[in-house]
Amino acid sequence: MDDKRGRFEAEVLPHLNAAYRFARWLSHSPGDVDDVVQEALLRAFRGFDALRGSDVKAWLLAIVRNCHATALKQQQRRAFVPLPEEHDPRDGYAMIAATTDPESASIRRDDARSLERLLSALPEEHREVLVLREIEDLDYRAIATITNVPIGTVMSRLARARAGLKARWLTEVEGERRGVR
Amino acid sequence: MECAESLRVQAYFDGEVDALSAADIERHVEHCAECRALLQDLEQTRTAIRRDLTPGRAPPELHARIRQALDQETAVNTPRPNRWGRTTWRTQPFWVGALGGIGSAAVAATLAFLVLSPSITNPLLDDLVAAHVRSLMPSHLTDVVSTDRHTVKPWFAGHTDVSPVVADFAQQGYRLIGGRADYLDHQRSAVVVYQHGAHVINVFSWSASRGALPGNTTRGGYHLAFWKAGDLEYCAVSDTGWDELLGLARLLRDLSSRDDRE
Ligand SMILES: [Zn+2]
Repeated sequence: MDDKRGRFEAEVLPHLNAAYRFARWLSHSPGDVDDVVQEALLRAFRGFDALRGSDVKAWLLAIVRNCHATALKQQQRRAFVPLPEEHDPRDGYAMIAATTDPESASIRRDDARSLERLLSALPEEHREVLVLREIEDLDYRAIATITNVPIGTVMSRLARARAGLKARWLTEVEGERRGVR
Repeated sequence: MECAESLRVQAYFDGEVDALSAADIERHVEHCAECRALLQDLEQTRTAIRRDLTPGRAPPELHARIRQALDQETAVNTPRPNRWGRTTWRTQPFWVGALGGIGSAAVAATLAFLVLSPSITNPLLDDLVAAHVRSLMPSHLTDVVSTDRHTVKPWFAGHTDVSPVVADFAQQGYRLIGGRADYLDHQRSAVVVYQHGAHVINVFSWSASRGALPGNTTRGGYHLAFWKAGDLEYCAVSDTGWDELLGLARLLRDLSSRDDRE
């Protein structure tokens, strides 16, 4: 048992940050993220004996996704309506990349906030593939495993997510800047 | 509105194509302004996301909560394994009651298919899975599209030195959709493509010249079923269930042995 715990800490816990990020991107109510991640890690621990030499990160993220779906169902049963606007983009994963130039830092912060908001506004099935590809740097196969769809679907969702983000970015961010000048 | 190659260009951008297809796509991009613009967009989006959204980290309180939960889990379960080695859970998280069938079934399915992936390397298995995945890319599935075995079978004669059994099993749920020539482990192979529900099944065949045929296995989430018939070796690859895959294998074997007798 101690050995299992040790192996779990060595092989699965290093992916805790990825699990947390993914849960954040899936969820519209930040308060539930910790519960979802904790439940996912517990389930992963219980199923860990059966896992042998495969992609631990993809496996864990698939569990996170299932836990999120279950929590969401539970929430909907409590007739709780999530309010994405309450979600503070500076909190957690949307921290701004460090830079030495204060002016460009402020532009970047605005860009990051818009990007964060635009990404959050994508339909969930588009958002999740884009996050898994660009932020978690996973390949199509792993993304297909996690989202439980064929690779062809991953490819078309990814294309639509990217096109959608680009279009929103262009109309919103670039439009605003031109308006300011 | 959109270039038909756009998904392949995206796959190229994501590093999901082999060297041969990459060269092919590069040639296309050279004379397709739309795909050049697409590549630029993909690069810009990636740069913006990776530059501006720095990775978040789980807060220390969450680390602590998880360790505590694992401590509890270990303490509770150590003394109580039942005789099948499974454990009885005494503590339940707050929403376990709501788990129902679907979520846990999906986790179980994911687990099952990850668990079955062997980590040993075998070039033939790697080639089979790579060729199967490649075939799922748009416009890569078939070289000859036909539901008629009298079209597919002669096509192979002109394109490979392999002449596999070809038949449409639409009535049994396996629709013949075409054929393709492919390379496996540096050897020419003929591929017969079937559709079963939403799944594609590639049936590879090659001259039986190598050593022992691998046993049925699962790799990267795909099942591979092997058999030998006459002077050919076959492998059916798909992400269907084992029952569905072995069902097609059985039909094809039966057909081969009938052909032999005739
Ligand atoms: Zn093009």
